[in-house]
Amino acid sequence: MSTKTPSEADILRPIDNFSKKYFILFGVAGLALGAFMVGWMYQLWQGMAVTGLSDWGSGGGVTWGLYIGAFIWWVGIAHGGIILSAAVRLLGMDRYMPVARLAEMLTLAGLSAAGFFILVHMGRPDRMVTSVLGHYHITVNNSPLVWDVTVITAYFVLTATYLALTLRYDITRLRGQLPDYLEPVYKVLTLGYTKKEDKVIERMVWWLALAIIIMAPLLLHGGVIPWLFAVLPTYPGWFSAVQGPQFLTIALTSAISGVIILSYAFRRAYDWDHIITDDIFRGLMLWLGFFCLLFLWLQLQQLTVGSFAPATDLATATDSKFSHWMYVVPMLMVLGVLAFIFAQTVRPSLFSKTRSIIAAVLVLMATLVEKTYFVIAGFWYPTFSIYEATPGDYFPSVIELLSLTGTIGLVVLFFLVVSKLVPVVELHAIEHLNGEHGHDHESDHEAATEPEVDA
Amino acid sequence: MSTDDDSFHPLGEEWEGELETMLDDTEYDSELGMQMAQDAMAVTKGELSEAAFHEKYHDDVMAEFGEDQRPTQEAYEQAQSDETGTVGRMLDKFDGDGEESRRETMKKMGAAGAAAVGLSAWGAMDDGQPAHVATAEDGDDGGDEGTQLGMVLDLERCDGCLSCVTACQEENQLDQGVNWMYILDYEDSTPGGRNRLIRPCQHCSDAPCEKVCPTTARHTRDKDGLVLTDYDVCIGCRYCQVACPYGVNYFQWEEPDVSTDEIRDIYSDMDGDHMTDDRDRWVDSRAPRGVMSKCTMCPTRQDGHMGEDYVGTTACEEACPPDAIQFGDMNDPDSAPQQYLSNVVQSRARMQVDGQSPNMEEVQESYDFLDEEIELLDMEFMPGPDRDEIEAALFIQGEIDEDDLSLDEEELRDVLLDILDDEFEDELDEEELSEDDLESIVDDLLDGVEDGDDIERALAAMDTVIADSEDAIQDVVDRYESREITPAEVEEALEIVDGAEPEDVVISEGGITDEATAQQVLEAYAGDDASTFKLLEDIGTNPNVTYIGNEPGPEAEQVDGPVAYDDVGLTDNRKEVLDEETVGDFGVSL
Repeated sequence: MSTKTPSEADILRPIDNFSKKYFILFGVAGLALGAFMVGWMYQLWQGMAVTGLSDWGSGGGVTWGLYIGAFIWWVGIAHGGIILSAAVRLLGMDRYMPVARLAEMLTLAGLSAAGFFILVHMGRPDRMVTSVLGHYHITVNNSPLVWDVTVITAYFVLTATYLALTLRYDITRLRGQLPDYLEPVYKVLTLGYTKKEDKVIERMVWWLALAIIIMAPLLLHGGVIPWLFAVLPTYPGWFSAVQGPQFLTIALTSAISGVIILSYAFRRAYDWDHIITDDIFRGLMLWLGFFCLLFLWLQLQQLTVGSFAPATDLATATDSKFSHWMYVVPMLMVLGVLAFIFAQTVRPSLFSKTRSIIAAVLVLMATLVEKTYFVIAGFWYPTFSIYEATPGDYFPSVIELLSLTGTIGLVVLFFLVVSKLVPVVELHAIEHLNGEHGHDHESDHEAATEPEVDA
Repeated sequence: MSTDDDSFHPLGEEWEGELETMLDDTEYDSELGMQMAQDAMAVTKGELSEAAFHEKYHDDVMAEFGEDQRPTQEAYEQAQSDETGTVGRMLDKFDGDGEESRRETMKKMGAAGAAAVGLSAWGAMDDGQPAHVATAEDGDDGGDEGTQLGMVLDLERCDGCLSCVTACQEENQLDQGVNWMYILDYEDSTPGGRNRLIRPCQHCSDAPCEKVCPTTARHTRDKDGLVLTDYDVCIGCRYCQVACPYGVNYFQWEEPDVSTDEIRDIYSDMDGDHMTDDRDRWVDSRAPRGVMSKCTMCPTRQDGHMGEDYVGTTACEEACPPDAIQFGDMNDPDSAPQQYLSNVVQSRARMQVDGQSPNMEEVQESYDFLDEEIELLDMEFMPGPDRDEIEAALFIQGEIDEDDLSLDEEELRDVLLDILDDEFEDELDEEELSEDDLESIVDDLLDGVEDGDDIERALAAMDTVIADSEDAIQDVVDRYESREITPAEVEEALEIVDGAEPEDVVISEGGITDEATAQQVLEAYAGDDASTFKLLEDIGTNPNVTYIGNEPGPEAEQVDGPVAYDDVGLTDNRKEVLDEETVGDFGVSL
């Protein structure tokens, strides 16, 4: 704990300052994104054949691969926003207030990256709007993909609204200290603001948060996304009611990991030890541990059911899990993280920020690999496996790998830009840390209940 | 079916006149009858609705018969209740019923109209139509359930020749590895039987591919139940390919090998370009880049764009040498696939025996010859030496004279030389005799010389020709009367199971077929009745392909077939083709 007092100057520091490191990071991220864009242009020019994908069945390949695996991964990461916001606003876990806005921004960034993957993996992205919107009234009744697009859009819009509303408080009070050249942006953001609206906005965002917490975990990453796969009866690795909860745990673990890494990056860059405190990381780690436990527990369900006395097709799919490195290694990674976090619970001195970052990175890698495995293994072991060319061959091509680094670059760029426009830590958080609002501080050792998770 | 005169009746003015005379013999108003008949015809053509027909004649029918029991009453009442007064609705009443089967509508016509006119017209329509065109008409009409095109695939008849795959590839200008039609041999844990699968798209009634499509690009065509992809709408998300349990979808990962202009050129002779169907949607032939494709069951053929002959056919069905594919309306019990299915043994026997020898006619002729009812040269069927040789031999023997000879001198000489070539083969080989020697023997024969060793041998050779012919004919009869099942007996059996009296059909009681054995004969010839199944039926897709033969078990694995895809210019594994375009192919697989 630092002896510094959190101040407005602290949270304004990113906006006014441009450092060398910033430009270098901007360049690297820009390069990564640029490389991917070049790859994507080439793909648009030559066709999807430039990827490592192929038709499943006699076609000898898999038809959904890294693009979809990464899509799922980014949507999972994007759930961090609502989890943190809900924790703060609905459950009163004020401890996390300093990182709530970062998490919400991560939602927007993550969903943008996910949206990119949707476009990239389509054969005719130019028709996305006309073909989908044009027939929406019909397809919304039966296509899981359309549900998917609907809920993601809703999540994005709701989060953006939430952010826009909560930013008003900050911008108006900090207006004088914000750069002039961004005045048009601030004008728009604070349109029609009066002090009276504060209480109203508080209520509004409370309800928004409630709406999102019901929708996003339960219907997005615990709903329409797993349903893309889980409703198809001829893929034994997919066809199960457990996928809803399973995917949700993946979202939760990825989301917390993303928030840990993001928070640490900003804390380090702008000397925010006294704002984004160690406390926060400890807390986040505990939650990460809990979600990792749930994740592994649900995998255990699948492994047990899939191997006890399974039908032949399920047996094959489960056998693969026990032997393929893309499943085994991620499970071990998550298990390792869980073990460490458990140890940290027993012996709090084991905690360090570095270890937290490592844990978060490991979890992110694990979830990406496992999710990609989930997708491609479906096509490897369908019920109708008679084809000699099934299981098909697949290795992500260079362009697909570039999409991964490219979207990471995109997200980094997003934060580099946004952090120059608006404060990424809520003014409320600063006020709260200074005891200005008369809130009671939550105890540092709260019980690890997780009401928003329906396992 | 149209005639040149003014009659509304398909059979023409004279027939119409006869019918009118028949009506005159009844106690009822002939003119009313003829008018109703004319309008009944219009209803069957869809030019007049049942409701309008009912309304038009209701008062007259009541006046004439005291009651109106016509089945069109229902349509009339329905129309009455539907009417809400909008102009459009009112106008619609006078349009045709559209989907209603011609046959169904005519069946419904009562009293004076249909009985005299409709049924006879129907009879005239059906006579002499080849099976697939009748199917086509069935396909165009609907039963009450509507048309549902599909296939019956006889796996026992498929020989893995890949003609169907090739034909489909050519019809639709598909890229290498895009195997809309696919044949695979497989090994399975259950022994016995041929293990081969014909795998087109199943055109499911509850197609999961259609259900998951986010754009309605994948849809089912109302008029005939075909599941098609609209290439102008598809966004290439490939979810249909994911959802399909059978793996029938092929995505166009790269620019197709054949351009749409080239396709238009290839099909420039037809009505249309083999790409757009009757609804003006681009659903046929290979897909453009970035869009999904699969077996279409040839919608542009069904729409008549290639001509009437092609309606009710598919490229694969046409190309299949052993006729393993039956395509048609699965909802119509009279369609080719349903007929085939209704008695598989018979259907198979029927196909297998087609063109085989000796058939019934030939066996009958053989009997007739042996019974001395006909002469050797009267026979069309020549199981032994051919007609020319027989004629030449008989001529030399003096059995026939020059007028009866159909050969001219040069032909005669050639035939005789051929016979002598065989007779004196050894001597020719050992060069004891030359071709010139044979020529002079021929001269001698023609001059009627009878002396000399060579001549005697030559004359004996003539005898042998005749003797061989007679032996061959006897042999046919012997085979017929033996335990062997000749094609003739299969034909007899087919007629008997179709309901003919054995004594009317059987050529001779020496044969093995009678009522009791007919079915056994067919089974012995064409194979036992085999089980039918649908692929992955328990998944609930309701596929419209019914298979006859062995169902692959869950552990079935594909093995090489008798013909390799490479051998016929096709590619089995698409990825081999696509890998050439992959950027940064690491050469390994996960």
